[in-house]
Amino acid sequence: MGAVSLAELAERYRPEILAYLVRLMGNEPDAQDACQDAFLRAQGALDRLRPDSNLRAWLYRIATNSALGAARRRARRTARTVDVDLDGLPAGAGSSPEDREQLRRVARAVQALPPKQRAALMLRRFHGLGYADIAASLGGNEAAARANVYQAVKRLRAALEERRG
Amino acid sequence: MKKHDELIATLLGDAQASQELERWLDTDEGRHELAAYRQALGELTRLYGEDRIGRPRRPVYYCSLPTPIGRVLVGATDAGLVRVSFRQSEPSFVAELRERLGADPVRSAAKTADIVRQLRAYFAGERRAFDVRLDLSRLTPFHRRVLMAAAEVPAGQVVSYGEIARRIGQPHGSRAVGQALGRNPVPIVIPCHRVVAAGGRLGGYTGGLGIKRKLLRLEGARVAAG
Repeated sequence: MGAVSLAELAERYRPEILAYLVRLMGNEPDAQDACQDAFLRAQGALDRLRPDSNLRAWLYRIATNSALGAARRRARRTARTVDVDLDGLPAGAGSSPEDREQLRRVARAVQALPPKQRAALMLRRFHGLGYADIAASLGGNEAAARANVYQAVKRLRAALEERRG
Repeated sequence: MKKHDELIATLLGDAQASQELERWLDTDEGRHELAAYRQALGELTRLYGEDRIGRPRRPVYYCSLPTPIGRVLVGATDAGLVRVSFRQSEPSFVAELRERLGADPVRSAAKTADIVRQLRAYFAGERRAFDVRLDLSRLTPFHRRVLMAAAEVPAGQVVSYGEIARRIGQPHGSRAVGQALGRNPVPIVIPCHRVVAAGGRLGGYTGGLGIKRKLLRLEGARVAAG
């Protein structure tokens, strides 16, 4: 697909891919690394992209793989999970200490979701992807994509209710 | 579990609620579940929703200058002057810019040169009014109206809180006016120090009454000693 250059791709999609990676990884430095990695991989794979493929879903797929790969490498290196960087997330400055604690609970519950569920939830909720595109981005079929999103919502709800009670 | 899936589908906009679901949502259990899912999705959106990430935070340029009332700190965005502060340390000012404005503070003498020059002239007694663009975009309309009314008071004069309240068409709002002036993000430049209590007494001042008195003396206004 010679018509698109990587520079064009990056200019057009980098902001939303980076935002997705921040949501997925919970902090901006890791997301920046993964984003860079994703566009490098995209460059390498650009000539294998079929003309009829969904470019956006394809980029989300590459970005997801970069993020999950980075998470696996990190898990091998260190046993700890990275705590969420609230300041790197949109609601960064929660007003009161209680509010920040609540936001931190939400962030932990999100980070505790299985990666595919987390990815599916973010794509559906914040990136406007339908289930066919989510399936194209994460693998599997539409029904599995939908199940991942719904399961994520259920777990999130359960986690927040449990902690409140 | 099917009801939960249906409810989630409705909340995510994947499907319309069926009559059966509507009936369930009208029960205690249904209402409880609806509230719990709404809360979970609401918190998710609050934390991850705004599309600020991925875009650079806007810069806010700041600088400090020595004056007769101590160090004065100024902050300006590309849209205009956004903060003037005194009796505050530079690190605390920078933290406030970062947290309250969601901006990236950048120390820049060049970007703040104009306001710094005007403030120097003001404290030297060579300037009576400021000519700068202000960025008050984060304030409420009421707050802006109060500040704009205070900005109309010329150097050397004072008006009462009640007078400002009248000028903005809220004759009974002098307490709210006082509170709004107390949260003036650009003191000195918007001269909230020229607004005083009835009878010419000084009233209050976030920067301390000593500074209020100093500013008014500098401008040649006559105020009661109190």
